[in-house]
Amino acid sequence: MMDDLAILGFGPDGWAPLLLKGCLLTLAVSAASMAIGTVLGILLAWARLKGPRWLRRAALVYGVILRGVPELLVILLLYFGLPSLILSLSETFGWEAPGLPPPFLIGSVSVGLVSAAYQAEIFRGGVGAIPRGQFEAARAMGFSDLMCFHRIVLPQVARVVLPALGNVWQFNLKDSALIAVTGLSELMRTSLVAAGSTRHPFLFFGVAMALYLVLTTLSSTAFHYGGRYSNRWDRG
Amino acid sequence: MGEHLTFIGSVTAQLVRAVPVTLLILAVSGVCATVLATGLTAMSVARSPLPRLVQRTWTFLFRGTPLILQIFMIYYGFAMVPWIRHGILWAAFRDPVFCTCLAMTCCCSAYIAEIFRGALAAVPRGEIEAGRACGMTGFMLLRRVIAPSLIRIALPSYSNEIIMMTKSTSLASTITVLDITGVAQQVIAHSYRTLEVFCAAAALYLLINATLSTLLTALERRLDVDRAPTPLAPIPPTLEPLS
Amino acid sequence: MSKTLRGAVLGLAILLSLQAARAADVPAQQARRTVVIGTEGAFPPWNMTRPDGSLIGFEPDLLQVLCQRANLQCQLVAQDWDGMIGALQAHKIDVIADALQITPARKAVLAFSLPYAITTGVFVTQKDSPLARMANRGLVLDLDASPAPERQAQALAALREELRGKTLGVAISSTYDAFLDKYLAGVITIKSYRTMGERDLDLLSGRIDLTLDDTTYLRPLLAAPDAQDLVLVGPELIGGELGAGEGFGLRQDDTALAERLNAAIRSAVADGTVKRLSLKWFKADATPDLGPDPTSTPSGTPKP
Repeated sequence: MMDDLAILGFGPDGWAPLLLKGCLLTLAVSAASMAIGTVLGILLAWARLKGPRWLRRAALVYGVILRGVPELLVILLLYFGLPSLILSLSETFGWEAPGLPPPFLIGSVSVGLVSAAYQAEIFRGGVGAIPRGQFEAARAMGFSDLMCFHRIVLPQVARVVLPALGNVWQFNLKDSALIAVTGLSELMRTSLVAAGSTRHPFLFFGVAMALYLVLTTLSSTAFHYGGRYSNRWDRG
Repeated sequence: MGEHLTFIGSVTAQLVRAVPVTLLILAVSGVCATVLATGLTAMSVARSPLPRLVQRTWTFLFRGTPLILQIFMIYYGFAMVPWIRHGILWAAFRDPVFCTCLAMTCCCSAYIAEIFRGALAAVPRGEIEAGRACGMTGFMLLRRVIAPSLIRIALPSYSNEIIMMTKSTSLASTITVLDITGVAQQVIAHSYRTLEVFCAAAALYLLINATLSTLLTALERRLDVDRAPTPLAPIPPTLEPLS
Repeated sequence: MSKTLRGAVLGLAILLSLQAARAADVPAQQARRTVVIGTEGAFPPWNMTRPDGSLIGFEPDLLQVLCQRANLQCQLVAQDWDGMIGALQAHKIDVIADALQITPARKAVLAFSLPYAITTGVFVTQKDSPLARMANRGLVLDLDASPAPERQAQALAALREELRGKTLGVAISSTYDAFLDKYLAGVITIKSYRTMGERDLDLLSGRIDLTLDDTTYLRPLLAAPDAQDLVLVGPELIGGELGAGEGFGLRQDDTALAERLNAAIRSAVADGTVKRLSLKWFKADATPDLGPDPTSTPSGTPKP
């Protein structure tokens, strides 16, 4: 028991500092992938709704692939494939080889790419939930496209999509654990290294589970209050 | 170029041989999770508070933590617990496929139970009242009125969950199971050719998921008695709200 | 035009400085270069991660000396073993320092520095396993000895018989893959793990019957209080598919870096630094025999 306290503590042999650092890295990588997913997701939703035919097709295929392939494979593929792709591109075009992407970037991009596929569906659904009559009314009133987006689409979509985005965030948070396979010392990886080198897997995986519960609970509470939404499934 | 195609061909053949492992994990955990989820749903509407608390704790625990961590906990963590390591359960726990199925059953049952719970709440009150008015009670009411409606309402979200589960089976590879992803990594360790191998593996998963979703969509159509132009899909694809 | 001119001036400057250096008969002071070195950080005592995140072990210690002597700005990064070679080829790292044995199979995809240590592979099993009584314990089996002497051929045959039907765990793409493929394919079931730690946990739980790994890794593991149920068994393996010592893994086109590291390794072997560090971390001398240095022969022939 005393042993457990020592290896979990802040002392010279304690893993607490690394585990907490892992938590922060998990949050950071999830936030980065969420941001990437939102930007790309909005673009994809726009492509699906308003884009030319070929772009609509491309966005559809993107969604089908990224939602149908295991996240683990996407991460592994990007982790091993992206650097060689960048390298061969820079060779083909004669650029100076750019600095190669660190695991953090690869991890957040790969989770972000998956996230974007789901977020695109949410945004598309959000826009689809607005009655057509409102667009017609806007046109009748002489609204420009931008004004229509700003005054009609944005306020309503934001309200509709917030709960769904909260869910995507939860998925991102949990998918970020898969980035452990790239060696990024986020929470999952740190607990695995600790479990392996101390040979106390039950203790460290238990602690990691508790920490993930804290992260998911805190962030879902934040979404709950921040969004001021309520539906029957959401209990914070 | 020819060598390239030969390589992809032989890799695909190796990966295809691992498909049964992936499907086995999916089938076992899919069935078990659905059964368990039915039980959890029943608990969630129980009169006494204890089953409701159990259901809520279960959901909280398994939806709040990553599946990969649950798998590691069950595989490595439980192996260090003396009464499992030296008890009769060890015969099961020493098998990584069993550990994956167990973790996926626990985790996915929590998600499926939430889908069922949502669908249960969406069964029109009027139908149940009409059933009661016709003199149905208990099991008859459940079988004839509630279950058909519930299944129809839950099916779109349930289908998405099954697709999610197919993807999750790839996590078995992290605990030495030679499923599609596991074999892919094994091939890469010997050939160092990542791109072709992972793309072939991704194509296999897409194929499995396409087949599954075609089957499930067909089932949805079949069950859609109203032939409504848009099936009832209150929840966006694969996104079940977290409690 | 200015570009060409600048290039010419730069080239001239380098040429002149090289000439000056050679004339003064001091080692050409090469430009300081930044090098990213990948290590697992989970392979004690070669390299390991302390709870505070810093990397320690034989290799970090040795690299500190080597980088200084080769005038390299070294950055040590932790990285999973199964992605290590991919990371090197993708230029994410420039050097692999992870107790990498110089094997024929790896030479096909990697370039190697000179060896900076030489160690043997050994089996470990549980004390209550029937394998605990494996024959030829402690016999050093050199797979390079050709033709294999009678005794060694017998030992290998005995090994095959004893291991038939057993499950052996190794870390993904370890040195032992080629050895296992050649001598034990079809005889044993092999399980691959992402990290040594995971493999060790399964060895302790008994999910695998035995493992094959480096003595320098396994001896300290067996000394740990929770590994009292484990025991070293069977012959010690060296040579052939298991390689001729541990060297740094490099990209095949990075010959400049190889030369700089080789010179540094030679000096560290010659002045006893390698011996001092291997005694510190392995409790045994793992200094490799590098033979004569071709670059410092009495005639002083310059490198081509």
